[in-house]
Amino acid sequence: MDIFDFYRKDQWPHVFCPGCGNGTVMNCFFRAFDKVGWKLDNTVFVSGIGCSSRIPLYINSDAIHTTHGRAIAFATGIKLSRPELDVVVFTGDGDLGAIGGNHFINGCRRNVDLDVICINNNIYGMTGGQASITTPHEYISTTTPRGNREYPFDLAEIAVAAGANYVARWTTRHVHELTKSIVASLNKKGFNFIEVVSQCPTNFGRRNKMADPSALLEWFKESSVRRDKARAAAVDHVDLNLAGQITTGEFVSRERECYHERTGGSSHGDGH
Amino acid sequence: MRPEINLKHCKACDICVYMCPNDCFSRGVDISDRGYFAAVVSAPEKCFNHGRTKKLICELCVLSCPDQAISWKDESTGDEGSGNEHQTG
Ligand SMILES: Cc1ncc(C[n+]2csc(CCOP(=O)(O)OP(=O)(O)O)c2C)c(N)n1
Ligand code: SF4
Ligand code: SF4
Ligand code: SF4
Ligand SMILES: [Mg+2]
Repeated sequence: MDIFDFYRKDQWPHVFCPGCGNGTVMNCFFRAFDKVGWKLDNTVFVSGIGCSSRIPLYINSDAIHTTHGRAIAFATGIKLSRPELDVVVFTGDGDLGAIGGNHFINGCRRNVDLDVICINNNIYGMTGGQASITTPHEYISTTTPRGNREYPFDLAEIAVAAGANYVARWTTRHVHELTKSIVASLNKKGFNFIEVVSQCPTNFGRRNKMADPSALLEWFKESSVRRDKARAAAVDHVDLNLAGQITTGEFVSRERECYHERTGGSSHGDGH
Repeated sequence: MRPEINLKHCKACDICVYMCPNDCFSRGVDISDRGYFAAVVSAPEKCFNHGRTKKLICELCVLSCPDQAISWKDESTGDEGSGNEHQTG
C-alpha cells in the first residue's frame, strides 16, 4: 500500500501547520481504511468548516465540504438516499460540538449509519484560536485571555448518552489504539463516533506554553487515563478535563438498528 | 527495513524525534528546499525493524508523522517497502 494512493497528489503537501494533529489522524485513518478493504469509489467523505474539516479536500474520492456545523445533516441525507454508499464524516470540536451540536446529538439518537471522526483540538483553529466548547478550564485562547472560566463538554459521553452504536476516544499520542478503533468502527454499522484529542500547536499550544507539537503530545500522554484503569482508580470517567484528565478507551460498542433500516431508507433513493 | 524521510513532505515538526523510543531520528540542521530544518534519520540501526523485511513492528514514527513523510526502505535491496506490512498491534 502507498498511502498516497488515497490522496489527491496534486493537492499535497497539505495546508496544515507543522505538527498539526489533523495529518496524523488522516494517516491512521487510511491505514485502517486499507486494512478493512474499503474502496474510495464506494465512499463519500463529508465535512463542515474548520481546519479538521479540510481533510476531505485531500482525499481522492467524492467529498462534500458543507456549511459550518452541518456535516451530519448532509451525511444523513446521503446515507438515506444512497444507502449502498459508505459515508465518513471528518469534523472538529467547533463544527460538531458547538454550532453542529444538535445535529450531532440527533445523529447519535437516530443511529444513522455513519463513521464520524471528530478531531478535538480544544480550540477554533481555523479562525485564529477562539475558545471552543472543549477548551479546558483555565486554559488560554484569544477569547479567554485570562483563562477559560467555563468547563468543557465531553463529546464522547454525549454520544454514548444519545445512543451512538460505537464510541471511542483516543489522542494523537495513541496512534495504534486509534487505528484499531477506526478499523472497528468501519467494520460496524450504525453511528460510530471516534473523538481524537489532537494538537493545534499554532492556536492552542502557543498560547498555553506548549508551542512545540511534542509538548502537546506529552501533555496528552500524561493526562490520559484508560477507562478500565480509571475505573479501578475510582476516578469519574465523565470528568474529562474537569480533573485535568483525558479518559481514553472504547466506551461502547452495541448493535442498535440503523436509521435507514428502520425508515426503509433505500426506498428514498434512485429517483423516488 | 529503515525509515526514510521525504524532504518534499517533512515540515520539521520533530514529532518523529519525540515518538521514536529508540532515538532513531534527530532534529534537522540543514534547510530543505521547502525551507524547513527537516528531521534526519540519524540512527536507523537502532530501529526495531532493522534487519526485518516483513511484519514490521512499532511504526510509531510512520503513523504519527502528520505530513506522511516517513516510509520504509529495504536495507538489503534499496527498494521501497510496502506499507501492507503495517501492523496495528
Ligand atoms: C455559520 C458560520 N459561523 C462561523 C463561521 C466561522 N468559523 C469557521 S471555522 C470555525 C471554527 C472551527 O472550529 P473546529 O470545528 O474546532 O475546527 P478546527 O479549525 O479547530 O479544526 C468558525 C467559527 C463559519 N464559517 N460559518
Ligand atoms: S491552525 Fe491549528 S488546527 Fe489549523 S492547521 Fe494550524 S495547527 Fe492545525
Ligand atoms: S514527524 Fe514527519 S514532518 Fe515531522 S519532523 Fe518527522 S518526518 Fe518531518
Ligand atoms: S519503527 Fe519505531 S523504532 Fe523504528 S524508527 Fe519508527 S519509531 Fe523508531
Ligand atoms: Mg477545533
